[in-house]
Parts: sequence; structure tokens; C-alpha cells
Amino acid sequence: MELLGRILMVEDDPKDVELALNALGEYNLTNEVIVTSDGEEALDYLYHRGKFQTRTNGNPAVRLLDLKLPKVDGLEVLQQVKSDEKLRMIPVVVLTSSREERDMVASYKLGVNAYVVKPVDFHEFVNAIKELGVFWAIINEAPPGSIKRK
Amino acid sequence: MPGWKLSSPNIPSVIQRYGLAVLSVAIALGIGLLLERSHFHDVEFPLFLLAIVVTVWYAGVGPGILAVVLSSLAFDFFFTEPIYSLYVSRSELPYYVVFILFALLLTWFSAVRRRAERDLLQSRDELEQEVAIRTQQASLLNLTHDTIFVRDMSDVITYWNRGAQELYGWTAVEAIGKRSHDLLRTVFPAPLDDIAADLLRTGRWEGELEKTKSDGTRVVVASRWSLQRNDQRIPIAILETNNDITERKRGEEEVRKLNQELGKRTIDLEAINKELEAFAYSISHDLRAPLRHMVGFTELLQKNASSVVDEKGRRYMSTILESAKRMGTLIDDLLAFSRIGRAEARESVVNLEELVKEVQSEVAQEAEGRNITWKLTPLPDLYGDRSMLKLALVNLLSNAIKFTRPRPQPEIEVGCAEKQNDRIVMFVRDNGVGFDMKYANKLFGVFQRLHRAEEFEGTGIGLATVQRIIRRHGGEVWAEGFVDKGATFFFSVPSQRR
Repeated sequence: MELLGRILMVEDDPKDVELALNALGEYNLTNEVIVTSDGEEALDYLYHRGKFQTRTNGNPAVRLLDLKLPKVDGLEVLQQVKSDEKLRMIPVVVLTSSREERDMVASYKLGVNAYVVKPVDFHEFVNAIKELGVFWAIINEAPPGSIKRK
Repeated sequence: MPGWKLSSPNIPSVIQRYGLAVLSVAIALGIGLLLERSHFHDVEFPLFLLAIVVTVWYAGVGPGILAVVLSSLAFDFFFTEPIYSLYVSRSELPYYVVFILFALLLTWFSAVRRRAERDLLQSRDELEQEVAIRTQQASLLNLTHDTIFVRDMSDVITYWNRGAQELYGWTAVEAIGKRSHDLLRTVFPAPLDDIAADLLRTGRWEGELEKTKSDGTRVVVASRWSLQRNDQRIPIAILETNNDITERKRGEEEVRKLNQELGKRTIDLEAINKELEAFAYSISHDLRAPLRHMVGFTELLQKNASSVVDEKGRRYMSTILESAKRMGTLIDDLLAFSRIGRAEARESVVNLEELVKEVQSEVAQEAEGRNITWKLTPLPDLYGDRSMLKLALVNLLSNAIKFTRPRPQPEIEVGCAEKQNDRIVMFVRDNGVGFDMKYANKLFGVFQRLHRAEEFEGTGIGLATVQRIIRRHGGEVWAEGFVDKGATFFFSVPSQRR
């Protein structure tokens, strides 16, 4: 079996999380998804802080990041991890409802690896999530130090 | 002696002057000899003195001395013993010396007197000239409507022209002798000492002063001061000219206030614009998510529960899906519409003919399977934002395709209705279902629709978008149509850079 990368999903909307997990379930990727519901929790995970103090070492293969998040928003998370020598290599995919140019430009300026607008149409949404999961967790070679499972 | 020269233009030449000496002595000698022959004795002495005096008076010292010498010789030769000889006997010598001394003294006195008189004349001429110039200047200064006055170094007014009287109300008689700053209650823009220092250093000063007229009204004047110095470079007076700028200042103040208000309004508008932008942002961000959930969970429901739901239930589910999708389209259209207002226009020369062909091929897929007759006439270039104009044309052409759907032989024409120097009127004509002209004013409103959704789909934003784009270009859009007789949409755009 191929190596599966771990996906860190930063998404505050439980309905979107449910729909996304449902989509990833078709490829049995659900177990590899860590869900954090705001920017602070996501940073806690990456820095082994708070409730993630005792998690196993290693980084996720990809981070799916919403922009509009409680406490610390997506762009701030992006800015922090991309300026951290240890974390900047982990690919970040912005997955957002915002089609606004300024969000896109800001994200790319901060070094995002991909920018995906959540499709309104459910089928397209499901397809997008599936493709993202397959591409980043399976096809793409994650940088050294990522958690992988056979 | 320039003054003398001016008043006596006929200067006697050297020959004339010395000739006068010779002539006067000769005449004196002639008269003396004649009188002697008639036995009048001892008249030669005063005669020669008279000749000398006349010479000195009219011809100056040099010829005077010549006259003295000639008179002495003639006196010696003709009138003293021995006669007809230049020999002077011992007994005659004192008499002779006294004559010469007396003659010289007379010459000297005459010369001094003459010089004094000339100096006097010259001074008088100069004075007269000066007075003439001053009088002329003063009357010239009085001619001007500008306010001019002169004050000495202790601020006492010494000159006051008619313009000053007109502006401030006091006559020259009333003003002269008063202190100007007290009389006019001058308000200075800077400490007076600083102004005075400036004036002494550069010789001039100018600025705006507030002064009071005799009737008590305040005026603002543009004031220019010039310092007058005497020959020893000592400041003696200040010439001040004033121009009443009260009206101008009031105008400026009004403009300033209006600008301030405008600035405030601009800031308000910017704030409103930002708010709108935030609103649009939140629409794009927040309205999409619940929409996706509606669609997502309804589809999951369709997939997982369609076996337990009856036909009615399945129809409900598909209606929910349709409505959700329609709302998605509405949000997208609204956002695009609001973006037209916010986006910066990138204007350039646009090849309209090329643009129309491009749009036509893009919208043609909406008309697949239908045999539409397109009539594209040559179009001029115009000046505008290409992508915005393209969006407007897309809306107009897809409307034409949509509303000709019931026609077996649809026709769509794009052309130029009018071409003037500064603007172009374009039209898009179709033979579709048309519209009732009494609703023409509703065509371009947001969400305004003249057809039921079952007849023709749409969000009611397309023509509002067209209008917004054309208005941003400084043009207008209007339409003509009849029910079942087709419609023509016109829009005007400037053909050159605004």
C-alpha cells in the first residue's frame, strides 16, 4: 500500500467539516484528517502546544486552511507558519468561500501553495475535496519530517 | 553749470566774449577822445571803468582782464602825459596804479556778483523743474484708483491720494498729519517690529493687512510698502499702496469652506464605500457556506434516503436544490455588479468590431442548434475599459439570443447608429419578444424583470450591469421596443479620452 500523508484541516464550520470528511471517506482518507476549528488550535497542533502537547512527532503532509477563522484568522496562521523555518516547508492550501481578489493576492504573497475556492455546488465541492486529498496525501511527495502511514 | 546752460541757451563764443572786451574799450576810447575834442576833460576814467564793468558783466573775468589791460594802455597812450606814448611819468604813476587797482577790484566784484546771480538763477530753475515734476507726479498719483499714501518714519501721513480717500473715506486734509496705524486701526499679520526690520533690510514689504474705513467697516487689503531713503541712505519715508481684496478673501474663504465640506463628504463617501465593500465581502464569504450546506446535505439526503422518500418528497428535494443554485447565481451576479462600481477602469482605445465578434463567438454557444442570422456592420474604435465593455456586450447579446428563442428565424443586428466627434451611439437590435414601452424605465433596474422565470430565465441584473458600465464610461443607455416586435438597445460612449 502507498504511503498516506496526514491532512491538517483548519475549518470552523462543522457542516463543511462533515461534508469534507464524507467526501474523503470515499478514499478512506478520513482517519488521516486532523480537524482544528480555529487558527489558534491549528498553531497549537503545529507547535505541540495545549491539547496537542503529547501528540506524536512529525508534521502533516498538507494543511487545508480556511481564511475566515475565529481567534487567529487564516492569513495570520499562514503568515506565522511561512515565516517559521521549521514549518514553512509544509504545503498550505487555502480552502475558502472567498473569491475576493485581495484574499487571493494576500495568500499568494504570503507563500501559499494553492488557493481553492470552495465550490458552491456540492458535487464540485466533493470533487474538489477528493482531488485535494488524493493529490496532497497520496500523489504529492511530502517534505521530509511528515507523518506517513502505510 | 548745467542749470545756467539750460536757462541761457545762447552761450557767447570765446571770440565774441573777447571781441566784446575790445569793442567796449574801443567805444569808451572813441567817446573819450570825442569828448576831449569838445573840451570835456577827465571823463575817460569813468568811461573806461564802464567798459570794463560791461565786459565783466556780459563776458566774464577773462575778457574783463583784457578790457583792464586795453583800457590801461589806451588811457596811458591817449590821456596821460606824454600823450601818444606808452611812457608813464613818475608823477602820473600813482594815478595810473590806482586806476588799474580800481579796475581790477571792479572786475572782481562784478565777477563775484555775476557768479552769485548765476547760481541763484540755476537754483531757481532747478527748483522750478523739481516743482513741475513733483506736481506732475502728484497729479498722476491722484489719477490712479489704487490707494497710495506716504508716511514718515514715525508713521505720520504726509501724502494721501484720491484712491486712499475713495477706499478709506478720509480726505487728504483729514488724513495728513495723523498716524496711519491709529487712523486705519491696522491689524498686522506679524509683529510690527518684525515687519519694520524686514522693511529696513530689504527696502520693501508686502502682506495682507486688515484696516478700518472712516465708516467703521473692516477691509482686507493687499499692502505693499517701499522705503524711501535720502542721499545719506537714511530712511525718511514709507510709500504704501493698498488694494482692497476683501471680496476676494471672502470668496476664498467660501471656497475653502466648500472644499472642507467636500473633503468631509469624500471621507464619508469613502467610509460608505468601505462599508459596502465589507458588505460585498461578507456576502461572498458568508452567504455561500449555508448555500453549500443546503445543496450538500440535500444531495446526501437524495443519495441516502431516496428509497424511503416518496415522489413528492423527491420533488421537494430537487426544488430545494434548484432554489439553492439560483441563489448562488444571484449572489455571483450581484457581486459582479457591485465590482463594476468598485473596480478601477483601465481605459484604452478599443477595437469595437473585434470586440463584438469576440463576444458573438462566446455567446453563440447559448444559441446552439438555432439558426440565428447575425448582421454585424462596420464599427468605429472607441475609448474605454475593454473588459467592462465586453461584459456589457455579453449581456446585451445574450439577452438578444434569449429573447429571440420563440422565433423560427431569429435576427440580431449590431451596428453604429450615430458617430459624432466625441461620442458614438451603438445599438443591438433583435426581432425577439420585445417589451411594452411603458415599462422601458424598469428595464435597467436591479432585479427588475419583465418576464416570468418560466418564460425566460435570468436574475434581473444583466441590464443594470450594462447601464452601470456605460454610465461609468460617461454614456447613457436606452431602449426601444414593442411587444412581439423586437427590441433595440442603444448605448452612447465617448469616442475619445475624457
